[in-house]
Amino acid sequence: MSDAASRLRRLAAFLSKSLLLMATAMSLVAVLLIIVYIARDAIPFFKLHGLKELFASAAWFPSGTPPEFGAWAIFVGSALVTAGAVVVAVPLGVAAAIALSDILPYRLRQAVKPVIEVLAALPSVAYGFFALVIFAPLLQQRGGSLLAVAAWLVLLPLGLLLILIVSGAATRSVRPDVAPAARWILAAALAAILLRGLLALGSLLASLTVASGTNALNVSVVLGVMALPTIVSVAEDSLQAAGRELREGSYALGATRAETLFKAVMPAAGSGIIAAVILGVMRAIGETMVVWMASGNAAQVPQPWYNLLSPVRTLTATIAGDMGEADQVLGSSRYHVLFALALCLLVISLLANLGSEWILRRKQRRLGGAK
Amino acid sequence: MDLRTRKLFDRSLTGVSVMAVALMALALAILLAPIVARGLGAFFFRATSEFRRFNLEQFDRGDPRAVAAETRAVAAARRPVYDMLAAFEDELAELDTSRRPALRKQLREVKEGLVELLGPPPGEIAAVMLRQQYGQTRWDRARGKLAGILFAVKWDYSDPSRMGRKVLVPRRSAFAGTRLEPLFPYLERNLKAMLRPRPVFYWRFLADRSLDSHFFGGIWPEILGTVYLTLGAMLLAIPFGVIAAVYLSEFAAAGRVVSLLRVCISTLAGVPSIVFGLFGLAFFINTLHLSRSKSVLAGSATLALLILPTIIRASEEALKAVPRSYKEAALSLGASPLRMVLTVLLPAALPGILTGIIISMGRAAGETAPIIFTAAVSVGQPLKLWETLSQPTPALPWNIYNLATEHQAVDEIRHVQFGMVLTLVLLVLLLNLAAILIRARISKKMRG
Amino acid sequence: MTQIPIANPSLEATAAAGAAHVNCQEFSFYYGDNQAVTDVTLDFPSFQVTAIIGPSGCGKSTLLRSINRMNDLIPGRRTTGRLVFDGQDVYGPRLDVVALRRRIGMVFQKPNPFPKSIFNNIAYGRRLYDSLERRELQAVVETSLQRAGLWEEVKDRLDDNALSLSGGQQQRLCIARALAVDPEVLLMDEPTSALDPRATARVEDLIAELRGRYTIIIVTHNMQQAARVSDHTAFLYEGNLVEYGPTARMFTQPREKRTEDYMTGRFG
Repeated sequence: MSDAASRLRRLAAFLSKSLLLMATAMSLVAVLLIIVYIARDAIPFFKLHGLKELFASAAWFPSGTPPEFGAWAIFVGSALVTAGAVVVAVPLGVAAAIALSDILPYRLRQAVKPVIEVLAALPSVAYGFFALVIFAPLLQQRGGSLLAVAAWLVLLPLGLLLILIVSGAATRSVRPDVAPAARWILAAALAAILLRGLLALGSLLASLTVASGTNALNVSVVLGVMALPTIVSVAEDSLQAAGRELREGSYALGATRAETLFKAVMPAAGSGIIAAVILGVMRAIGETMVVWMASGNAAQVPQPWYNLLSPVRTLTATIAGDMGEADQVLGSSRYHVLFALALCLLVISLLANLGSEWILRRKQRRLGGAK
Repeated sequence: MDLRTRKLFDRSLTGVSVMAVALMALALAILLAPIVARGLGAFFFRATSEFRRFNLEQFDRGDPRAVAAETRAVAAARRPVYDMLAAFEDELAELDTSRRPALRKQLREVKEGLVELLGPPPGEIAAVMLRQQYGQTRWDRARGKLAGILFAVKWDYSDPSRMGRKVLVPRRSAFAGTRLEPLFPYLERNLKAMLRPRPVFYWRFLADRSLDSHFFGGIWPEILGTVYLTLGAMLLAIPFGVIAAVYLSEFAAAGRVVSLLRVCISTLAGVPSIVFGLFGLAFFINTLHLSRSKSVLAGSATLALLILPTIIRASEEALKAVPRSYKEAALSLGASPLRMVLTVLLPAALPGILTGIIISMGRAAGETAPIIFTAAVSVGQPLKLWETLSQPTPALPWNIYNLATEHQAVDEIRHVQFGMVLTLVLLVLLLNLAAILIRARISKKMRG
Repeated sequence: MTQIPIANPSLEATAAAGAAHVNCQEFSFYYGDNQAVTDVTLDFPSFQVTAIIGPSGCGKSTLLRSINRMNDLIPGRRTTGRLVFDGQDVYGPRLDVVALRRRIGMVFQKPNPFPKSIFNNIAYGRRLYDSLERRELQAVVETSLQRAGLWEEVKDRLDDNALSLSGGQQQRLCIARALAVDPEVLLMDEPTSALDPRATARVEDLIAELRGRYTIIIVTHNMQQAARVSDHTAFLYEGNLVEYGPTARMFTQPREKRTEDYMTGRFG
């Protein structure tokens, strides 16, 4: 091969490699462009109105004269809805991940996987449609009784379990010959209290009237279900990654499955589960269609703040809903405030993403370094 | 802790976690059941004679003579209705003045109800809006309209501590003793003869354009719009995504640049979809001026960015699964790395890459938020291919939102909304099913 | 298959002393349709070291893991015959696996410490069923580490992560972890296969020290190791027990041709 030909060939290789790199850098460019262009249209708002109005006031009247852009209620709405979704999705998701990784037999596991995939694949607008057209009327007509049934379903088994543990622990120092009797008497007394409490709570909930089915509760439940697949699959992966050796080590010491999971596997898989929760939360915060369709879109802080039955408005729904009107007044504060909100959303998602990335990486390093 | 309590804990954990899985499956069933059941109603329903007349006149479908014969038969069955109305209007002038205003109001409601139910009365000039030219095309809706004629709705506010309750009052009692009184039992008895419901399979729901903002017709413009947007996004995202995956898996040495790129990819994956939409508006439309206002092109570009991380990750995984020996064999034969990628690596990883591409297609088809400001409009005609560069389009996800929340008669077109949701869900699920099948085939091949 | 007479003079003595011991009676183990262990009848003498040897895939690990039912996790497993520990059928319907495993400790091929501190690793098993005070727990940890010969090396860094130890130290930590729950039997599944020669020697010394205090059953593919550490040796081939006897005799005058072939390296 001649010298020139080989040089040509090396040049071609170099060029093709740089071309590849350039195409790869597309994601970097996209991230930068997104940050720059969202920030560019957000800055005029901050220049005109400052930071204080957006974050400290709850008066959101973008079309008033003069317009007011207090987004406090909107931030509260986003936070409330996300917190609600977390309450629904995290316990359910982690428990399901445990079932998938350690409890269900192989065949059943294979049957459950498609359920998760379908839940993840369904378009958000389908969830939103369900929330608006099916769930909201149901909640409005039978909200009280639904809540009462849900409370019974969740609290009764948990309460009974707690009673058994408490009565066992409290009678440990009792003389062994009377201990069983003491334990049963105590358990029966506690169970009576629990039933009374549940009955009271149930009738309280059942008497609630739900003024509107499109409210924070509706959205929380639906967002929770939407976030489930993310949480389940990421958490299950990290539970699996903890490995068989670890589990065997624990079982061999006479640990039960629950002890093995809680004391050996979960601590080892903890960071992965946290990352799963962060990703699930991100899915809930960033979701637009469900909240836009079914949250009621009222820019008010619920009274009291934890009242999930009142309509709320979130960051995403505000952007989606107000841009239609703001579009015609390009360059106005009304237009720029939406970019300011988007910037907040972007910052939150960037931080959460970097956070979960950091958690996962630190864990990898720790485990990698030990080997 | 004694062994019994420990075991109790263990069993409760088992119970709780199995219950969680069951709840998840239940949630999916609750979600899908109404969508499937009522969505199918857009395709399978009992169509009235109005449906057949509509099809003949608007779409030129059906046997003209049969429809004409049916129209005559139906008109004969309807004649007594209009006779009774006419007779009552003569009677109204002679009635007690104290009753007159209330009855006149009720009469107006009955007549409006009849127009909606059966179409315009004979001899009247055709209205402009299509929905006023035809009666109910669907038997289920016709039954609902009939109820609106038979009963007047009143609100009961007698209990101040509760919200008002809906009470249905039969109109027949209001017209008791008049010549209109027999109308109500007549309608109830003869509705079938007046509308002649027959079951149809309206598969053209997928292929028909919509008429009079979805009161009639199908959802073809939305489907086409979704297909354009999805394919456009794939066209833009696949080259970049696959190249990036090749670079990351084959050429990049681990280092700062690569880990920065990886952070960017996962960051991009975490950006909320509405922010993509806003960015698309600010960048593709207001800065680059890809199109004067919303267009399929701008929407596709925005969606492409959204699915880029998914494609990169799936492709990279597929590339990494290709056995090292393949690559080494090609390289040892003197192939340049680039040639090795093109002739050995990509073909071997193709099914895996395809799986990722199909899954992200489903994602792109179902996303709404990114196209709100960049591509979607509520009403529009099917676009020609070249029009996608400059024109906005209706699209399934956006129009589901639009019809369910902003349409002027949300309740009248529930069947269209459900049909659209079902179509979108089926589209996405079929794409996912395809991906699952390809994946199953790969793993079977890998096992030998 | 041929029945192998069990020559074990010391057995009656220990059994009479009331020590729990392990024995198999025509015990078979299946994974689905695959029979991994076939009709093994074998008595593991108490307070002594028994080695199970054989070529890889001969079922020796399966047999070992059957004793504390570690194979429960595998779907489709099935057993016939009896495997008895302390007079109870290990696969009987009334047996409590959790209690069984507390009394039968196990050490695995690869050291598998929990990603916790050294102290918490050792205290792990004890905390499951005992709520000891901190001081008592410290005593347990110290005794266990001393018995495993690790105390001097780690006494100043009990709060360090166990994963920061070397491979050999990790394995001895796992032994200490097993000892902390006062087991009667110690199962060792190729405990030195992942260790370097020095760490291996250290573990072998440890086994010698533990002899007489625990019933030890060790699976190994290393015949020299079996010869060095065990009192009795069982040779398994394709799931069948070929020969069983005192180690010294097995290695000098094997009665079976296959044993001799294996020991002289003609297959394996």
